[in-house]
Amino acid sequence: MIFEELKAIQRQYGYLPVEQLVALSKRINTPLYRLHGVASFYPHFHLTPPARADVRVCADMSCHLRGACELRASLEQQFQGASGRDVSIREVSCLGRCDAAPGLSINDRIYTEVSDTQAEALVQSVLANETLPEPPREHGRVECASDPYRGGEKYGVLRRLVQTCDWEGVLAALESSGLPGMGGARFPTGKKWRGARAELGAEKYIVCNADESEPGTIKDRFILAHLAHLVVEGILIGGLVIGARKGYLYIRHEYAEQEKILEEEIQRCQREGLIGPRILGTDLSFELEIFVSPGGYICGEESALLEAIEGKRAEPRNKPPFPIVKGLWDKPTVINNVETFINVPQILARGVEWYKAQGQGGAAGLKFIGVSGDVRRPGVYEVPMGTPASELIFHHAGGLPEGKKLKAFAPSGPSGGYLPASMADVRMDFKSLIEAGSMLGSGALVVCDDATCMLDMALNAVKFFRNESCGKCVPCRVGSQKMVDLLTGWTQGKGSPTDYALVEDLSDALALTSICGLGQVVPAPIASVLKHFREEVEAHLLRRECPAGVCFSRAQDGAARVSGIARAT
Amino acid sequence: MSAGGQALRQVELTIDGKKVVVPEGTTVFDAARLNAISIPTLCHQQNEAPVGVCRVCVVDVGARVFTAACVRAVEPGMVVTTNSEKVRRARRTLVELLMSDHPSPCARQQHSRDCELETLAKLEGITQPRFAPRSTSRGKDDSSLSIAVAFDACILCDRCIRGCNDIRGNLVLGRTGKGAQTGIAFDHNRPMGESTCVSCGECMVSCPTGALTNKGTVHAALGPDARPVTSEELLQLPVFKGVSGTFLELNKGAIVQRHFQRGDMVCREGEYGSTAFYILEGQAQVSISSPIAHVKTDGGARGFLSRLKSSLARRQEDRREEEAQQRYIPTDGPVDLAYENPVAELGPGDLFGEMTCMNYYPRSATVRAQTDCTMLEMLRNVLDILQKNKTFREQLEGTYRQRALDSHLRGVPIFAGLTDDFINHLRETVELTRYAPGEVICRQGEPADSFYLVRLGFVKVSETYPGGELVLAYLSRGNYFGEIGLLGVGQRSATCTALDHVELVRIASADFQLMMGWFPQVRRSLEAVAQERLQQNRERLSLVRSVPLDRFLAQGLMEAQSLLILNLENCTRCDACVRACADAHDGVTRLVREGLRFDKYLVATSCRQCRDPLCMVGCPVGSIRRRHSLEVIIEDWCIGCGLCARNCPYGNINLHPFEVTQGEPALPGREMAVIQQKATSCDLCTGHKEPSCVYACPHDAAHRVNPREFFARTLGSPTAGVPES
Repeated sequence: MIFEELKAIQRQYGYLPVEQLVALSKRINTPLYRLHGVASFYPHFHLTPPARADVRVCADMSCHLRGACELRASLEQQFQGASGRDVSIREVSCLGRCDAAPGLSINDRIYTEVSDTQAEALVQSVLANETLPEPPREHGRVECASDPYRGGEKYGVLRRLVQTCDWEGVLAALESSGLPGMGGARFPTGKKWRGARAELGAEKYIVCNADESEPGTIKDRFILAHLAHLVVEGILIGGLVIGARKGYLYIRHEYAEQEKILEEEIQRCQREGLIGPRILGTDLSFELEIFVSPGGYICGEESALLEAIEGKRAEPRNKPPFPIVKGLWDKPTVINNVETFINVPQILARGVEWYKAQGQGGAAGLKFIGVSGDVRRPGVYEVPMGTPASELIFHHAGGLPEGKKLKAFAPSGPSGGYLPASMADVRMDFKSLIEAGSMLGSGALVVCDDATCMLDMALNAVKFFRNESCGKCVPCRVGSQKMVDLLTGWTQGKGSPTDYALVEDLSDALALTSICGLGQVVPAPIASVLKHFREEVEAHLLRRECPAGVCFSRAQDGAARVSGIARAT
Repeated sequence: MSAGGQALRQVELTIDGKKVVVPEGTTVFDAARLNAISIPTLCHQQNEAPVGVCRVCVVDVGARVFTAACVRAVEPGMVVTTNSEKVRRARRTLVELLMSDHPSPCARQQHSRDCELETLAKLEGITQPRFAPRSTSRGKDDSSLSIAVAFDACILCDRCIRGCNDIRGNLVLGRTGKGAQTGIAFDHNRPMGESTCVSCGECMVSCPTGALTNKGTVHAALGPDARPVTSEELLQLPVFKGVSGTFLELNKGAIVQRHFQRGDMVCREGEYGSTAFYILEGQAQVSISSPIAHVKTDGGARGFLSRLKSSLARRQEDRREEEAQQRYIPTDGPVDLAYENPVAELGPGDLFGEMTCMNYYPRSATVRAQTDCTMLEMLRNVLDILQKNKTFREQLEGTYRQRALDSHLRGVPIFAGLTDDFINHLRETVELTRYAPGEVICRQGEPADSFYLVRLGFVKVSETYPGGELVLAYLSRGNYFGEIGLLGVGQRSATCTALDHVELVRIASADFQLMMGWFPQVRRSLEAVAQERLQQNRERLSLVRSVPLDRFLAQGLMEAQSLLILNLENCTRCDACVRACADAHDGVTRLVREGLRFDKYLVATSCRQCRDPLCMVGCPVGSIRRRHSLEVIIEDWCIGCGLCARNCPYGNINLHPFEVTQGEPALPGREMAVIQQKATSCDLCTGHKEPSCVYACPHDAAHRVNPREFFARTLGSPTAGVPES
């Protein structure tokens, strides 16, 4: 409710004037400190009037690889003389358009594959009070192997279940399939649902986490656009199984198109009697609400996401207790990723055996993987779980651009670190990637060509975590900043022999003592680079040399790049 | 440990190899403590709900990652390690991270050597943190009278936040921003002193570092004969309910208890001071002993060089143009004094001297003990605590509604006709509001929704126009504003800003309209005043727009309505003007032949009837104001404190001493002669054909001019003007 009120004020004034906050505080009987706490936390809210052209250039992995720095530098140069009231150019965290990099947003509209001149023209048109062109739309509906209803009547599993009420059968099928949490944490879905079902109490919730915000992660954007009905069916089944009457679909605000598709899908279900009171005439009821995130990668952390729905600062909770015991409004709550939900009707419609047969190399099921960075055909690909990374890179995504060689790849955006080209045949599944010292995470394969500096990429990844830290706990709030400071020094050839030990101590503290996964993975990028590309790092430190020719030569144009903080507030 | 005597299930676990048994629901932190195993922490303290944010208390329970002991409940069979090499190393890194950004030694460490972070760092052997310190300062906030905020020392442990919201329920402190930019914030990130903070002190007492510290006694102005009061004694008083005992302890030098015998003088009108008094027992009398009279200059009619004589004259003998018809004289206490008989009584629960204490204005009245009295005398930091305390505010507001609202409203001549019934209605409905220095009360152009009476402090009324701000008035106790907007215009015609600590009585639009409906006479008078004010404002603004402002304003000349200028080409520096002025005013000249030079003119020091009349700020009894012509008038109840004379930037107000006889309360029936002062400003030799100084100038160098017209010509504007005299 707080966010709706704040958004209404922002729609009217363009920002949140103090007087309006004071008035709101009285109207909804909420202390000012709480309103300010959230208004200053989420990047969606402006506490001061924004510039007429509020330009935010994505600074993260895929866009970084595809010339975002240069784009921003060019815009900054172009509008050097412009007043701050007219033009503001800032970095922003991943906008979720990694397959069409570089991306930028102007006055909250997102444009992709933008060239310097296009970006300049967009800003000029804002300054000339012209209407901005419509942002590019998601390409037409694609048939997916994951859809058990291709062409036929949808929601077949749900229709059957509300008649049979065989909830135990659902749990048994999920348990026997071993379906892991597809957001990356791979907690067994059947076990989670059974746990929540066993919790006492009439008030329970189910939440779909569609807040993917990690650089390179675009698979949910694709799934929401193309398989919205499976997402909704999965949530409905889950809700009914655990005994929840209310579900939330938490979607990042940069996915306006997907939000609309889902809204229509939910309305269709309501018309058909699949959502609402007395589902298909039975005693079952369920409501599903879309909750648009006010922004920030941290909201994807499940307990932070719950805090956000409750209208608070999205700061992760200490666990245990886990959400299935104490979740939304302290009630038992199941939170699953978009891709987890679409697997449920697949398994129930086609059977556990079918599901297990879909994977390769001992893995099960189909997997959506976003491929971005230095490839010819970036995009989201639906492949058998366990498909080798090399097949995705060279076959599906068309390999690297002409004349470029594969140097490294990140199987899971920044949080899984970087693997060298020599490991490209690693299978993209949970187990294989852990064995390789990385992780499947959310299926965000980011490809780096041979002109990439891996130290620069490590710094880029750590900066993302620093920018997106919620600031609640000491290791992440202070530690991620110190890590950025240290690595920034390294890219400038500044470092001391004791730095390795210091990075190691800092990494341990981050990994072992942070409250949530964000802080725990901060060290992953630099750890992987020190493991696989140590010589490249040492060249910076010992010889003040960047073998890829990125760091020292770019240092001049990139003063802002080195110190830039995407403080999108 | 057991809740309500109910037996709780016992849980057995192992901590550092030691088998321990504790009740279910105990945290690992408490389980360790109960068994004499101490786990260091920064964010956890026993009286607050744990949050687990500093992570210093992490322990190894055999999971992938460590867990914060303060928030983790024990589980049967849990194996906890609190001090392995791995745990100790992680903990040490956390402390090192915090220390790298810590301004060591911080304020707490300097004052009392008990900064918890620095103590822990020492324990961990961290002398030189290996991480580079943060490159930018997070700043400080000095706005609170009692608490100093140093954001650089803040470790975001949330102890202050929980203290403010959970323990005291004050709901002021929270977190602002995100990530590395996170900080603590008061309300919507306001300076602490301007926030809704009630100065309970809990945040400061909760703070482990020097981020929130006690500012200490303002200065030692409390005499040696007073008895110090302990925090325990103060906490017994309902008006201190909710204040942290530690906080009072830290401020103990700033409040004392005094005993006054019947007839003792508590404070004297016109004297400077820095304390406020709270009556615990006994009755006190508040009065004004200065004779209520104007300074009258006689004798001038016989010739300009004839010696003039100044004397005190009652208003019946010496009527002044536009003299106030006020029936009450405002004081710095809960009651106003009747003009006809300026004496009133104060009793237990009354607070007086707020303005003197908060803003260092002179005492507005004399207070004597009428019976034997016990009072608390306090300095600003304690008064601030008291004023912000909810219980005390309720009491204060109740007293005001019952005792002062009546005289306050009726003291305004146009409200004199309000009936008792209506005032009783207002007692229930008016709202008392506080504003911090600089805070905007209402803004020009905003919709008007209330009418205000000034209860305490000074309100600046100004209009903005291209290129600057024009001060229309300074309103003090007894003045009112907001009527123009409510009488038809619908919008605020001017911006009103609190100049110091201001307290207002807010009458909502509905009640205001009710009053207008019931009392047509009040409506007519108000409408006339509003019309007049609007007209004056328009005139002033048109004048302001007609001259090149920048140069003019830079010299401060635009401020003036009437200037004495000396043409330096003609002036021989004979000082005849100065002597003439002194001769005309008992030998005390009100003219000094020095000042700003502008072109070939010297702007002599004499009252300029400024546009921003700073002299009016702070008058404890509101006896200086301006006429509609903008000239300054000093009303007859001036107590001679001299603040206006000090405030005048041009040295144009003088104090004139007079010998008067006064009753001596200590010796009833006796009268004694004392010297009383009255303030006077250049009166343009009222009653003379022209000012003595101008008349006296043998070289035609002195002129009294209207600066706008005069300088408009000098500055090349076509609106020509000649010296007026």
